[in-house]
Amino acid sequence: MTAPSAPAIELRGVSRWYGNVVAVNDISFDVGPGITGLLGPNGAGKSTLLHMMAGFLRPSAGEVRILGEPAWQNPAIYRRIALVPEREAVYGFLTGRELVELAARLHGLPDPAAAAARAIDLVEMGPHAARQSGGYSKGMKQRIKIAAALVHDPQVLILDEPFNGADPRQRLHLMDLFRRMAAEGRTILYSSHILEEVERLADTVLVIVAGRLAASGDFRRIRALMTDRPHTFTVRSSDDRALAARLLAEPAIRGIAFEDGRLEVRSAELLAAARALPRAAREAGVTLFEVRPTDESLETVFSYLVHR
Amino acid sequence: MNPDIARLTVRQLLGQRRTVVVALLALVPVAIALLFRLAAPADADPERFTARGLLGGIVTTTILPLVTLVFATGAFGQDAEDGTLVYLLATPVPRRAIVLARLVVAWLAAAALLPSAALAGALALQGGDPGIVVGFAVAVVAGAFVYTAAFTWLSIATSRALVAGLLYVFLWEGALSGLFGGIRFLSIRQYTAGIAGAFFDLPPGVYQPRLDPLPAVFLAAAVAAGMTILAVRQLRRWEIGESS
Repeated sequence: MTAPSAPAIELRGVSRWYGNVVAVNDISFDVGPGITGLLGPNGAGKSTLLHMMAGFLRPSAGEVRILGEPAWQNPAIYRRIALVPEREAVYGFLTGRELVELAARLHGLPDPAAAAARAIDLVEMGPHAARQSGGYSKGMKQRIKIAAALVHDPQVLILDEPFNGADPRQRLHLMDLFRRMAAEGRTILYSSHILEEVERLADTVLVIVAGRLAASGDFRRIRALMTDRPHTFTVRSSDDRALAARLLAEPAIRGIAFEDGRLEVRSAELLAAARALPRAAREAGVTLFEVRPTDESLETVFSYLVHR
Repeated sequence: MNPDIARLTVRQLLGQRRTVVVALLALVPVAIALLFRLAAPADADPERFTARGLLGGIVTTTILPLVTLVFATGAFGQDAEDGTLVYLLATPVPRRAIVLARLVVAWLAAAALLPSAALAGALALQGGDPGIVVGFAVAVVAGAFVYTAAFTWLSIATSRALVAGLLYVFLWEGALSGLFGGIRFLSIRQYTAGIAGAFFDLPPGVYQPRLDPLPAVFLAAAVAAGMTILAVRQLRRWEIGESS
């Protein structure tokens, strides 16, 4: 039985390694109702973490509990949770409807056809449900997999990169669907390596980098951390040396360098630098031609969160 | 046994190209029997040929294990490889029901070899002891179940089930069993031969199974049960692959 106060998903000191490779390293967190985004670059360990939560990987150390029960070797939890895996593979010889009905039957639902029709409608796959799923596009496969996962009305939904292959309209529709489910008190945890996907949907975020939990909590707070981190820009102006001399007097500027003849400016945080640069240019009588950030890759942002 | 998974497995097996290859393979004994009838020398002994060369030879030593290996690995290995197994496992269906459904379907598919083997036996026997055909018919069905159980376990336990199965059939049961007599106790081929031997009585020079019928039946049942239990345990512990 679920303890009344048990979090929907609970990880305590969870690690997973493959031989000498550590995929997930001593991670602990709780996930409650609402939408939580699991953010991290490719290869960070997101799928490994999700598979452990869904009971498809045994943690090498630590414990994963879902709705108060162990996730590993506990098929009973699938009455209340669902996993949408990242891989595209479906039983291609089944039609979309047959695939979702099969899921309904395996869950022992009293009216599998009605449950399948409802789930198919939720993901707007009705017009394509009579076609063999092997011929679906990537986005359609993704939606029919989500329908199969939703057919038994799970309390906890775990999705691995659910927006892969979805076009912008489908993406908005799925986001709307997940918001409605979260509003009903369900727990939705999804992974993504795209910051904007998490920004638009998740209330809470877990940032995982190189198998470690780099940050967790309210998305706005973590977004602020990402924005306020040190930034480096290359600047092209009418007089780089005059601008550099003036910038040295700005408290927001941490360092100045000339790399291959280009002016490189390091700042303590983004917004202060955005104010300081034009001000310094104006005061030095210099025209700015180009200001280009040099370290905006997601990996750089994640790396900062890990090492801060 | 879960009927939905059984139906799914039937459709999976029917849709695989390898099923066509297996169906053709099953016709080989009939072709050999026809050749024997048409081109055998006048002093050839039909009973000896049927028991030792055809049914006790090519059917039980090669075609039976190959057919069961193909169907058993086709029933589980493909799902495990492409990740679709998750759709069956992310449900509350007991793991033993999943294993039994797949095992029974793969076994029945392999047992479809029986009519071909029986027909081949009847053609080659030319009025000899019908117990030979009956014995091998029973033995093929029993042996198919034991092989299917073993290969089902193998296909859940390893992603290289086909290679491991071929090694078992041709290295362990083929080459090594001739060198080490004790291997007969761990050889499904010998259980099959022993079961067949209960239905006819031929001189030792003509057909001599290495196991008596009673231990053959006992060992076949024990191995089939053990492999089925192992397959269920293996499926309970099945982990999604790194590439999944």
